[in-house]
Amino acid sequence: MGGDQEKSIIEKFLEENVLFLGPDQEIMEDHSVVPTTPRETEALGQFADPDQINLVRHKLQTACNESFDMVEQMGAAPGAKWGDLISGVWTANGDLALASMGGVLIFSVLTQHPVKFILKYWKDDPTVGLKDGDIFMHNDARYGNIHNTDQSLVLPVFHNGELICFTGAIVHEGENGAIEPGGMPSAAESPFDEGLKMSPIKVGENYAFKRDIMTFLQNSVREPKLQLEGMKSKFFAAMRMKARVEEAIAEYGVAAVIATLRKTLTDTEAEVRRRLTCWPDGKIRTNVFADGTLRENCLIRIRCELHKKGDELIIDFRGSSPEFLNRPNNPVLASLKGMLAQEFLSFVWPDLPRNQAVFAPMTVLTDRRSALHSSADAPNAQSMMTFFPSFTAVQIAVPKYLYSSSHRATDIIAGWYNMIVTFIYGGVNQYGELVGNVCADLNGMGGAARWNRDGEHSMAPIFAPMADIGEQELIEEEVPLIKIVPHRLMQDAEGFGKFRGGHGYQQIATMKDTSMWGFMCCSIGSKFPTTYGIFGGYAPGTLPLCKVKGVNVFEIMKDKRELMRFTIPQIMNERPFPGAKYSTHHMGLQLEFAKPGELYMITQGGGGGYGDVLERDPELVSKDYLDGLISILSVNNIYRVLMDEKTGAVDYTATTAARLAERELRKARGKPYHEFVKEWETEAPPAAVPFYGSWKDRSLIYRGSPDDTCPADAIVPIMMPNPKDLRIAQLEAELDAMRGAGGARA
Amino acid sequence: MRRVSVDIGGTFTDCFLAFDGQYVETKALTTHHNLASGFMEALQNACLELGRTVQEVLGSVDAVRYGTTLGTNALIQRNGPLVGLLTTAGFESSVPLMRARGYGDGLSDAEQTDLPGADRPIPLVKMSMIVGIQERVDYKGTAVLTVDEEDVRTQVRKLVDGGAQAFVVSLVNAVVNPAHEREVERIILSEYPTHVLGAIPIVLSHRVAGRKAEYSRTMSAVLDAYLHDQMYHGMSSLEIVLRQNGYKRPMLLVHNTSGMAQLNSTHALQTIHSGPVAGLEASNYISAQFKLPNIIATDMGGTSFDIGLVTADGVKFYDFNPVIDRWLVSSPMTYLHPLGAGGGSIARYDRLWDAVEVGPDSAGSDPGPACYGRGGKLPTTTDANLVLGYLDEHNYAGGTISVSKRRAERAIEEHICKPSGMTLIEAAKAIKRKVDANMASAIFKEVAVKGYNPKHFVILSYGGGGPIHACGYAGRLGIHKVLIPPFSSVFSALGAGNMDALHIHEKSLYLMLYDATKRTMLEDFVVFNATVAELESRGREDLVRQGVDTAAIKTRVELDMRYGNQLAQISVTSPLARLQSMQDVITLLDRFSVNYAQRFGEGSQAPEAGVRINVIRVVSYVEHERLNLVQSTASTPAQAVPTSHRECWFPDVQDGQMTAVYDYRAVSEGMTVVGPALIETPRTTYLIEPGWKLTMGLNSSAWLVKE
Repeated sequence: MGGDQEKSIIEKFLEENVLFLGPDQEIMEDHSVVPTTPRETEALGQFADPDQINLVRHKLQTACNESFDMVEQMGAAPGAKWGDLISGVWTANGDLALASMGGVLIFSVLTQHPVKFILKYWKDDPTVGLKDGDIFMHNDARYGNIHNTDQSLVLPVFHNGELICFTGAIVHEGENGAIEPGGMPSAAESPFDEGLKMSPIKVGENYAFKRDIMTFLQNSVREPKLQLEGMKSKFFAAMRMKARVEEAIAEYGVAAVIATLRKTLTDTEAEVRRRLTCWPDGKIRTNVFADGTLRENCLIRIRCELHKKGDELIIDFRGSSPEFLNRPNNPVLASLKGMLAQEFLSFVWPDLPRNQAVFAPMTVLTDRRSALHSSADAPNAQSMMTFFPSFTAVQIAVPKYLYSSSHRATDIIAGWYNMIVTFIYGGVNQYGELVGNVCADLNGMGGAARWNRDGEHSMAPIFAPMADIGEQELIEEEVPLIKIVPHRLMQDAEGFGKFRGGHGYQQIATMKDTSMWGFMCCSIGSKFPTTYGIFGGYAPGTLPLCKVKGVNVFEIMKDKRELMRFTIPQIMNERPFPGAKYSTHHMGLQLEFAKPGELYMITQGGGGGYGDVLERDPELVSKDYLDGLISILSVNNIYRVLMDEKTGAVDYTATTAARLAERELRKARGKPYHEFVKEWETEAPPAAVPFYGSWKDRSLIYRGSPDDTCPADAIVPIMMPNPKDLRIAQLEAELDAMRGAGGARA
Repeated sequence: MRRVSVDIGGTFTDCFLAFDGQYVETKALTTHHNLASGFMEALQNACLELGRTVQEVLGSVDAVRYGTTLGTNALIQRNGPLVGLLTTAGFESSVPLMRARGYGDGLSDAEQTDLPGADRPIPLVKMSMIVGIQERVDYKGTAVLTVDEEDVRTQVRKLVDGGAQAFVVSLVNAVVNPAHEREVERIILSEYPTHVLGAIPIVLSHRVAGRKAEYSRTMSAVLDAYLHDQMYHGMSSLEIVLRQNGYKRPMLLVHNTSGMAQLNSTHALQTIHSGPVAGLEASNYISAQFKLPNIIATDMGGTSFDIGLVTADGVKFYDFNPVIDRWLVSSPMTYLHPLGAGGGSIARYDRLWDAVEVGPDSAGSDPGPACYGRGGKLPTTTDANLVLGYLDEHNYAGGTISVSKRRAERAIEEHICKPSGMTLIEAAKAIKRKVDANMASAIFKEVAVKGYNPKHFVILSYGGGGPIHACGYAGRLGIHKVLIPPFSSVFSALGAGNMDALHIHEKSLYLMLYDATKRTMLEDFVVFNATVAELESRGREDLVRQGVDTAAIKTRVELDMRYGNQLAQISVTSPLARLQSMQDVITLLDRFSVNYAQRFGEGSQAPEAGVRINVIRVVSYVEHERLNLVQSTASTPAQAVPTSHRECWFPDVQDGQMTAVYDYRAVSEGMTVVGPALIETPRTTYLIEPGWKLTMGLNSSAWLVKE
């Protein structure tokens, strides 16, 4: 037997004896648009008039928006109600060509993968197949999506037996049967703690769900009602869009639809390349840090280098932190790309269409098994904890290109606030139903300062325009979560600057009328800012999770109303409730059952500032002071403005003098760059801080201590000890020490 | 019937006068400095046509009905009073933050998606004029923190010191238990009684909006307080002018709920957008009178294109959370979809798609289209219509506005032809095609998203710009019949003349008809029946206050129902005013199921997830005498004689077509004009595209039919 023949036999054997079809890296790591097929070329030859194509596109775009409205209306998940979804049309090759105008745009680069999996593995598999009337679903992020709380559903659209496209929707559904309720478990230590794990799966045929599979899915989650409504809403929306595609085929012909989908992708990519060409060539480097894993404090480096050359942009994250094998803060590469696409779709070129070709001219470089390119072994439910800061790393670099660009589609901004500061909840509601989900307040991220004006307060999350923070009365009606303070702007929570970032808000939550209720939180940035100012603007401050246990605030309201306070600083500084326990924490809170009337308090962060604080118009400082946005301390010590504290009247002479003095002090503090570097730079990261990522050399990765390293091309994943074990060990040591001391005393 | 109906628009004040079987339509320019002047001029013109004096007419009419834009103007000009807001402590930032998404409410898709460029509107209530009251009511209506009188007095004093000219009191869960809002009102009144000159008006949120959602309810109350004074003074001064001219009855104000009421029973908020809603109400009337069960009502003006629906199943479409200017409110309005498209929509070449795009940016009426020569340099829909020959350069808008074709050509050449390489005519055709397609898509979505098939509808086209584009957008929708209704140029005023006195009261509640978790059905009907009774009583009070006979009052019960925890609340007209048996519950469930399936598709219903009623709404009304417009059945072989011919170009026809132009007076009832043709009236132009024909009806109504 010859070598080739032997090789062929081995290959055949391996192909026929696959244990199971796990995530396909070839699909998952490729974000390019599939090359034009002969069928598409033929269609483009038959239907080529750009104006006519524009009409067909408009019709299909309207259909996407219509089905988006349907999912939003019919979905029961809080995420669906505020638009944490998109609906769209995929080509017969699986590329997302058109998507709804609203919703979470990260998905526009992330939804192709499960469709391509279906095409590659199930279409010709005799046990599965792909035919008219089939319904496919998927939620495992390792096959696409952001995390397992997102569920997608697609339908194939055939015309005379020919596969034309897919229609469908993807929604952040919330509860998914994970180790913690709500679908985003920060306690997950492996993918098997992350709940439902649907690889792309056929869940229905002949336009009907299979009852046995529906039952299995409902049985796997805490909210079977939610699972049912979520599936139905996506299905009927996809059906509506399928009908619209069929109408377009009837009106314009099948070639028109095929040509329009392809041309939409081709034209979009060409436009992005044209726009990139307007940027100056060159490299820009940024570094950002995640300050924890949601279980423990540490410093996770995200190293970013943008290299723009011609019509291409390379985003290089090599040298960033290793993956955490037992923490869920690791994105799969595709999720990272989705988040980066968001920067361009929402913050650089918001006028571009929503499809995956927007990101096609970008190249992303990462180290395998890094925290930004995790393996299938690592959990990813909280991948946002590293890909949000990665987004920021790019966001604060891009203005440096845009400043010299001949084309801009919107304002230049500093860093938008980037964390989902809200409560996730789980428990039994006032009607006896088991529920678990996330509050919509995460959508109030503070807007970044602009080049010519301040940022807007708590305005929109970085991943969706027109998202909603909801109405407290409607939330209370469904769950026993009572916000004593739902959204109150937090004083001084801004990125200071010539133009300041928008503020975030504080929330004080408790609960009543329930036998079991727990809170969770999943944000970083309590020790080190997660977003930043630019051109001299400040990063917003860091803010902790605060708790008051051992109090029933409803009893206080009833009997000792004079003790009531309505801001976090007042409660934490004045500690008005006798006998209660006050504490602060980082904002990674795993499910913690609370008692009625106990307080959980968090604060949404602000946007980054733009420009030098000493250049801020004193009148704007005065207005912010009078509106309660900044304290007199900030007025005097940050902005160096002097004013009448009662009226806000600015003393211009004193202000000019104070600012001049500060400038002189700055000069005195200043030193030549090489001197600064000499003083500042060290050979290795400090031992006192658990540091993850490269230090000076991006090919050498530190694993939490100066003595523990690995090469970037052979990363050894991190296994973190359980913080409870560490605490027990610490307490046992203290106990041992005390016993020793006590023994001595005895 | 003797009735005066007036609708004030941005440019024209329209008057429709019904007098002993005679119907007269007139217009006058809107006089923004004093709306009464334009009002009286339009009325005077109508009286002249009747050969009577204004005093004679006003002294004998049974009603003057008035649709006003005063409120809208006050919002745009931001000249309302300094409002002080008292809200639940901890909720002080709810209004400034506008549910986060508020930055984009009332804006186009493109503006909403541009986060870096987005700005919230200038607030109606300054942050420093918002104070927290230490009180709290929970979702059930239980007071968990009572009102402290001293605290209220302190906070009120802060607002007064800040210069408050109006108070809004909006406390959490006040719609379930309004006791705290009333208590705050009592305390304010004890400090600032109403009988003194410096009395400050107080608006309580639960009296303005009956449904849960603290932000949008608060904004409803804020808008009410903001507009109250100006509306009151404007209306009162108009009433004085009417009285000076012999009118003795109370004036009736058109509401955006498809009803009307006297000034003493009208909230300022209810008058916003009342004109377009009156137009839809006229469409309802035409539907019944002309036996056209399904109508898509389209109203195209210079800067707007409103779409509304009348359906055979009688479903009432509401916007429960309408956006007024930039503010989300929770006062139910008759649903109309405004599309930012009109004659002023700006066209541009889109490099991305190598195609022509139109809108959403608009040149409005100032500077207006390039052809107006008022400084507008960008090509608009009107410019394309001029270039394509549809509009007469020398007789535009009856000669009231002078236009220049050369300016229109230059704008299109500069901004479309140069970058795209198209010829002038190709570019103008592309603009027309895209405008029609945009309108068709918007109509399609509006109809389809509610579960109807547009092909089963007739289009009603009114407003100055409608008849030029009607063939275009109807054709793209596959709709082959368009009705230009009688008196189409004053259609909203006509609608106002046909409305009933009507009041809507609603209340949020949490009433499970089927609890999926416990697998139980509603057996206790007390809450349902008591709530309906309470809302009926409030409606009755409103109408009786206006002198209505109790026996004439009718009611309609509507329920907002939902499956599980979905967002979708479908408004169901209840066949029952009271629940008495389990069969009644099943009847409601069935009715909801039918409505839901109609909208989202059969099988989409999810009763397994539970069914509940979220809002009960009672519509109380008194029917008024209707106009008597009938559809013409006349047909004549006689042919109208064109006044001229000119070359026109059409999107789907290669070469220019020599097109007959008719004066509307030459086309009599029953005559048919075959396209391509143009019929010019002083207020609009009917474009009959190739393949279409027009048959003239009564009162300048016409049918456009695709052959």
